[in-house]
Amino acid sequence: MNPKITRRRFIKGVIFSATAATSGAGYYIATAASSRSAGAVERLISLSVNGRTRRVDVLPQETLAHTIRYRLNLTGTKLACNRGECGACTVMIDDVANYSCSLLTHQVKGREITTVEGLRAANGSLHPVQQAFIEELAPQCGFCTPGQVVAAAALLIANPNPSREQARQGLSGNLCRCGAYDHYLNGVMRAAELIS
Amino acid sequence: MTFMHIGKDFVPPDVEGKVTGDAKYAEDFRREGMVFARLLTSPMPSGRIVSIDASAALRMDGVVGIITADDLPASKPPANPMLASEYVTYIGQPILAVAATSEHIAENALEQIKVEFERREFVVDPLDSLVEGGPDAYPEGNAMVLTAPEGDENTALVGVIKPVKWPAEEIEKLRRGEEPDGTFTAGWEYGELEAEFAKCDVIVEESFVTAGTPHQCMEPRTSMVYWENGKCYFHASTQSQSAVNNGLAAMLGIPPEDLVVINENTGGGFGSKGTSYPTMGVSGNLARLLNRPVQLRITREEEFYIGIGRPGMQGWIKTGLMADGKVAAVDLIIISDGGPTGQNSASSSAGHVSVLFQPNAMRLRNIPVFTNTTPRGAQRGPGQNEMAAVLAPIMDKAANQLGMDRVAFRRLNAPHSDSGIYQAQSPVTSAFMAEAIDKGAALFDWQAKVSQPRRRGNKIVGVGVGQGYHGAGGYGYDGLVKIHPSGKIDIHSGVGNLGTYSYAATSRTVAEVLQCSWENCEIIRARTDNHLPHSSVQGGSNTIFTHSRANYVAAMDALNKLKEIAAAEFGGTVEEYSIGDERVFRTDDSTKGMTYAQAAQKAIELGGQYSGQQYPEDLNPITQRAVAGVAGTGLIGVAKDNLDRKGTPPGQIIGFMEIEVDIDTGKIEVTDYLAVADCGTVMHPQGFSQQMNGGGVWGIGMAAYERHVYDPQNGLPANVGLYQSKLPTMLDVPVHMASAAADIPDPFNPMGGRGIGEPSQGCAVAAMTSAIADALDGHLFNRVPVTPDMIVNHVAQNSYGPKPLKLNTF
Amino acid sequence: MPSHDVMPDMELYQPLQVEDAVALADRLGSRAWLLGGGQDTYGWLKDRAKTTEAMIDLNGIESLRGVRETADGIEIGALTTLTEVATNTLINERYGLLSSAAGRVASPQIRNAGTLGGNVSQDVRCWYYRRGLDCYRAGGNLCYADTPEGMNREHAIFGASRCVAVNPSDTAPALVALEASMVLTSVDGERIVAAEDYFVGPAIDIENTTALRTGEILTAVRIPSTWANATFYFEKVADRNVWDFALVSMAVAMKMNGSTIEDSRFVCGAVECKPRRLTEVENAVRGRNRDESTAASIAELASRGARVLAHNQYKVPLMDSLVKRALQSA
Repeated sequence: MNPKITRRRFIKGVIFSATAATSGAGYYIATAASSRSAGAVERLISLSVNGRTRRVDVLPQETLAHTIRYRLNLTGTKLACNRGECGACTVMIDDVANYSCSLLTHQVKGREITTVEGLRAANGSLHPVQQAFIEELAPQCGFCTPGQVVAAAALLIANPNPSREQARQGLSGNLCRCGAYDHYLNGVMRAAELIS
Repeated sequence: MTFMHIGKDFVPPDVEGKVTGDAKYAEDFRREGMVFARLLTSPMPSGRIVSIDASAALRMDGVVGIITADDLPASKPPANPMLASEYVTYIGQPILAVAATSEHIAENALEQIKVEFERREFVVDPLDSLVEGGPDAYPEGNAMVLTAPEGDENTALVGVIKPVKWPAEEIEKLRRGEEPDGTFTAGWEYGELEAEFAKCDVIVEESFVTAGTPHQCMEPRTSMVYWENGKCYFHASTQSQSAVNNGLAAMLGIPPEDLVVINENTGGGFGSKGTSYPTMGVSGNLARLLNRPVQLRITREEEFYIGIGRPGMQGWIKTGLMADGKVAAVDLIIISDGGPTGQNSASSSAGHVSVLFQPNAMRLRNIPVFTNTTPRGAQRGPGQNEMAAVLAPIMDKAANQLGMDRVAFRRLNAPHSDSGIYQAQSPVTSAFMAEAIDKGAALFDWQAKVSQPRRRGNKIVGVGVGQGYHGAGGYGYDGLVKIHPSGKIDIHSGVGNLGTYSYAATSRTVAEVLQCSWENCEIIRARTDNHLPHSSVQGGSNTIFTHSRANYVAAMDALNKLKEIAAAEFGGTVEEYSIGDERVFRTDDSTKGMTYAQAAQKAIELGGQYSGQQYPEDLNPITQRAVAGVAGTGLIGVAKDNLDRKGTPPGQIIGFMEIEVDIDTGKIEVTDYLAVADCGTVMHPQGFSQQMNGGGVWGIGMAAYERHVYDPQNGLPANVGLYQSKLPTMLDVPVHMASAAADIPDPFNPMGGRGIGEPSQGCAVAAMTSAIADALDGHLFNRVPVTPDMIVNHVAQNSYGPKPLKLNTF
Repeated sequence: MPSHDVMPDMELYQPLQVEDAVALADRLGSRAWLLGGGQDTYGWLKDRAKTTEAMIDLNGIESLRGVRETADGIEIGALTTLTEVATNTLINERYGLLSSAAGRVASPQIRNAGTLGGNVSQDVRCWYYRRGLDCYRAGGNLCYADTPEGMNREHAIFGASRCVAVNPSDTAPALVALEASMVLTSVDGERIVAAEDYFVGPAIDIENTTALRTGEILTAVRIPSTWANATFYFEKVADRNVWDFALVSMAVAMKMNGSTIEDSRFVCGAVECKPRRLTEVENAVRGRNRDESTAASIAELASRGARVLAHNQYKVPLMDSLVKRALQSA
């Protein structure tokens, strides 16, 4: 070690303080300046997620993926790139597939947000896409799977009876590093059969 | 053999959670009081840390602490340290981590930390360092001169770093495709090389280069750690429950029994999460320092930096064929891009050649050179698959010069069950490559494909064939099975869960042996405190062969105990007992017997070996602790795999591909792909198909898309994100991919199976490079990936394009 | 260099009317960042390679969405998503060139969020610049790409002026080919700029890719009937078929009389910092048949005057080939 490097233990204190550490629904504390310029948005907003209305305190610059995962604790939605380059964070906004990492939460006030956790029927039964993906053993590592499931569900809302090529186009915004594309496509085609 | 379970599809227990979002990965766990850590990483490829000033960050509300190398044990180059101490050797190298009550605050705190550096010279291309006068990646030099033999892919090299330089003219020779003369630090040889070359009718000499590639697993290696009552609870992203424990415990300075590794799911590993890795030590030690739970989320960019990558290589190969097409001799030189950690897969590259073409004599000369690029490690078929990529069209060229069909040429040279491999020409358990080739050539209709018209408008059809190989198994792991007094059967497995489902497929061996219903079995896994035995890593294509053996011996132990307990009750010897319908009974009178549940109750009463109070002495200490944890709760079957062994179980595949090359745009479309595996019994058809197709996608990625790109002026990597890393998308791979198997059981696995996770990439990349050369009248790029600009330049006969053998910089 | 992943603190404004938006843009001036679909924006801010004090989110302004028929063509609201542009019946029927181009942007989800206004106003993708280096475009005084060792495979072969970045937009060449015009709105009213003038190279403005001024908002894109129902050709060559920017793209509109090309617009993307109009090609094919012999006669006219860098020489034959293909395909 170079003696010129003068470091110290950079620990402020090791006493755990529950009040300082947790807040509300998640484990995220918002600390951005609370003073607000005239005309800027209110931070406390209502979101409609999987059919339920939730009140959440959201930073102006916060992405929907962050709100879902850290404030609403819906961890099925994955963050794999956080740059709109993979699709693991795909959710539906009013039945249309979107990357939740690339939307501001403040932009979806009043819209219906559906995450992978919201696809089951009211009686708890699996969505046809979920059922078909199990039957075709579509997932491998599973990290892209929630995004694939939601993208496929959105595709089948828009086009309940896609050709294999249309399904391929429809799912093309979801990257799978395991290369399970063929099995996912089989799953979409089977799901379309289950629906019809 | 007719199986009850093996070879049939089933629903692995973790699949439903994956499609519903219930499946938890390390970053999905929360805990009361959890804080968020973020890394501060090196902005320069090489330098010395002069000072760190974190005072402003520490004054921020919500910031709870910072960890630096001062808080951690020292490490010695080229080992990859948890945090950089004095020197940084690559852009993105972690220097410190800051923890705060929100990730947002931690990010803001990073901007308030000032680190002063002194810049050092750096290098991103091995040849630029190897040439006389070239810069060295470390102050001490650019190469590891070994002082102990090289181990396998996950073993650290032992040696000293020294400068090694070659005369500029030798580097230029290599760039021209000629054999260079320079210092090597590793290698091997067998047979009479010169004598065998003398027998040859055709000799082909080529230089080649393969790109390094990031793993870019979908799940970045986030961890969440907390300490409780002196134990460390570690939510990890890992390929194995067993292989990670000792290394991680050492990084934390605790005995392995005080470490609980929790890993229900892992979002991809591909070799990069086979053992413990440095940032695990950062989050684990930080959680202890702060005395509160820490989530260290790794970003995509950081995953590029620290997620290790496949080493690129620059090399030269000379291949000699005799008149009948037999490969007589191969001479191979490989300069590996070791990054700052010196990973070197050259022996495996040479091994690929030795297995699949069976030369009578072969030599490898090798030097790994350090560069200031990302750390390197094992990636899917390390060594073998990148060799497959460049070897296929070179071997095609040799076969074509003899006028020999490319498939016939491969069949002639294919390994058989009595073949030798690698330097030692050591045995394989079995090999049926010729049978796989015959099956594939027929299914693909090879003869018709190569005879078809090759022009389709602006496109030219290319037809290719290539092979993949990886040693697909090991020996000596432990299995642990418990039959509950309820009759339920637990199969304990420390195999990781990457989504190959081999943890489950190998567990079905137990149901097979005990002839019980699969629904009555539960796989106990995911946490080391679930009492997991010393298990095969999920990697290296190893699990299927290795852990079905381990589960087999444990199940056989349980079966024997069932019979012993029944014989004690109903008389006679164990040989006089049979099983069926989850009962053990006298073969001559099935009314004399008991259910598994009754036998398990009896085992508890008997104690000793029957319920795990006693166990074999040759069990691994991990398994010994696991058995102790379940002792007395049921009938325990536990054993080390001491079954007969014979050398390496070869996972090998032949791939056939048809492509269309658009000569205007340089774009390649894969129009047909088939791979046929020699992998013994297919134990899980859907899982088999997944690995064959997934490997196919990886092969296409290696052949045409993926590579590290660095700027030689400042050492910056260009492909830190997913879009720049160009992983193949759904629209870059064929609509359908087909696979099949020779389906001849391996005699050294009781279920007959061997793994194919890695050669499935090698055969695809080889088939694709073979097809590209075929489409372009035999033109050899001797480089992967082959990108559209290279094809456009070739067609236009541009003299531009990459300088020969440039690595990381095109 | 921390690798950032979370956007820094900022204010967010969400006006519902264009008048409010332009008033905000006027009041906040260069302190504010106009937010369309955000598909270019968020990367910059998450990387913290660029920052802003405030964002004016235009997504709430309904009047900026949708496709309207006008007296002379159509008007597309700037906030219309790329998916809508790619699938809208009116656009498909008359201006299929734009549908094709919009349909090739990035990925389905990006097209669902990304807007036409954002696509034509996006920043360049030069990787040195995106990494936050102090290059000319970032206000510095050097270019990392235009050097003998620069990794410049994706960079410009025309119009370099200190900076060699290309315009990455897929829809921009199509709009130039269709003679579209951009409606720029500010507190002072509307300013109409031809698409051809909307995109600017580094010689005119090295820090911006468009003629949009501070305080102005791109509110609509107008396409005249001039090229409605013409014969179109669009091709985008990229490494990957999803999530990739063009290595070279070609947008062509041709008015045919039988097999004769009466008039045409050839516009090439990703070879310059703005869509490159190939007027010499247009002149050379006027009155000629759309066939193999015309294609052959054009030869290397398209790429004439190209200045190549160390790694982008392939763009020369590639752009020539795409012109040839536009003339070949029937």
